[in-house]
Amino acid sequence: MRTLFEYIPRILSAFKKRDQRRLRKLNDSVLRETAVDSTKINFRLAIISYVLSKIVSKPRLLSEECQPALSAIEYSLVKLVKKMRIADESMIMDLFSEIETNVSLLEERDPRFVIGLLSKGKLKMAATFYAQGMSLGIAAEMTGIDKQEILDYAGSTMMFDRLTEEKTLKERMKIARQLLSG
Amino acid sequence: MKKRDVIVDAGVLISLTSSCLDNLLYFYAEKYNLRFIIPPSVENEAVTVPLKKNIRKYLFSAIRIKNAIDAGVVVVVDAKLEEDIKNLMSIANNIFFVRGKPLHLIHKGETEMLILAKELGVEYILMDERTTRILIEAPILLKKHFEKEFHVNVMVNKKNLQKLTHEIGPLRTLRTSELVMLAYEKGYFKSFESLEKNVLEAALYKIKYSGCSIGFREIKEYMSGVR
Repeated sequence: MRTLFEYIPRILSAFKKRDQRRLRKLNDSVLRETAVDSTKINFRLAIISYVLSKIVSKPRLLSEECQPALSAIEYSLVKLVKKMRIADESMIMDLFSEIETNVSLLEERDPRFVIGLLSKGKLKMAATFYAQGMSLGIAAEMTGIDKQEILDYAGSTMMFDRLTEEKTLKERMKIARQLLSG
Repeated sequence: MKKRDVIVDAGVLISLTSSCLDNLLYFYAEKYNLRFIIPPSVENEAVTVPLKKNIRKYLFSAIRIKNAIDAGVVVVVDAKLEEDIKNLMSIANNIFFVRGKPLHLIHKGETEMLILAKELGVEYILMDERTTRILIEAPILLKKHFEKEFHVNVMVNKKNLQKLTHEIGPLRTLRTSELVMLAYEKGYFKSFESLEKNVLEAALYKIKYSGCSIGFREIKEYMSGVR
């Protein structure tokens, strides 16, 4: 629960201040922690911290008419901060769900995108976990995103150029040719 | 000609079918007697579930993969290896440690492919999933990758690493990209005549955007050598 205790109050504070930079940094830290301690709670927190950073980066979601929904998100976060030390895993998951419901309410006012903030956040986090070195199966299971969606997303990024491969393309083609001749 | 078997993962089948490149499977089966083997979990993920749940996004791929199974080009083999899968998963997920905690790297589906290859004595595995591929080819590269990603020291349980290498055996990995490149060399795209090279390049980018773990650099490198 270290991640939770350490990061949730900071996420709440950054969200209240609408500090996108801080939220992104916190999201990076949660991501790193999640890779080391890959619990469902940490995965969920990674997704939520990403989504909150996206919310504060979009002026259309910070307008006057969005304030009630933003307050509801803040209220859910405050509840989480208060209860996190005494709550068990299922209670924490319920509180995460409450935050996610409030995020969806925020979007209901302006549903201009086919993929919602939460789905996009889950996809982005799943692709990041895969890029960090988790297998596709684990990234898919933990985020609830289809493997193919993660692959499509990863395929359009530079992630496969970042890791130095053990074998050169020439060596790989040699293996492929051996398959047909052997 | 002797049958040559290759174990294939769901990602490869889905990216080939959604890119309309699944005829490559028939091409290799007919001309080179290749047989593409999948475990039941791959059939379930790529065919049964999308058809049963009517997942529109994946129906086209599911039907085409089902066709390939019905045609005998893709063969489903149920080796019932639950215990072996559990054991290998436990080994692979206890190789790298950060702050005393093991890094969970691979999932049941990916482990099943490795166990199936071992059980059937298949030497080649066709997969686009990067982590498992690197774990087969050069697990120590993953350690370096994690250290770079997380800015921490990663400890290696050498005993488990040796066990993994022993369990996996001499597996050789292929990506969809090599299958496409090789098909080009064997004349698969000849019917495109003057556009043959263009269609190869387009096909490589298409599978790259479908998640095949090939870099932009590698595509450029291969294309620069194509006459």
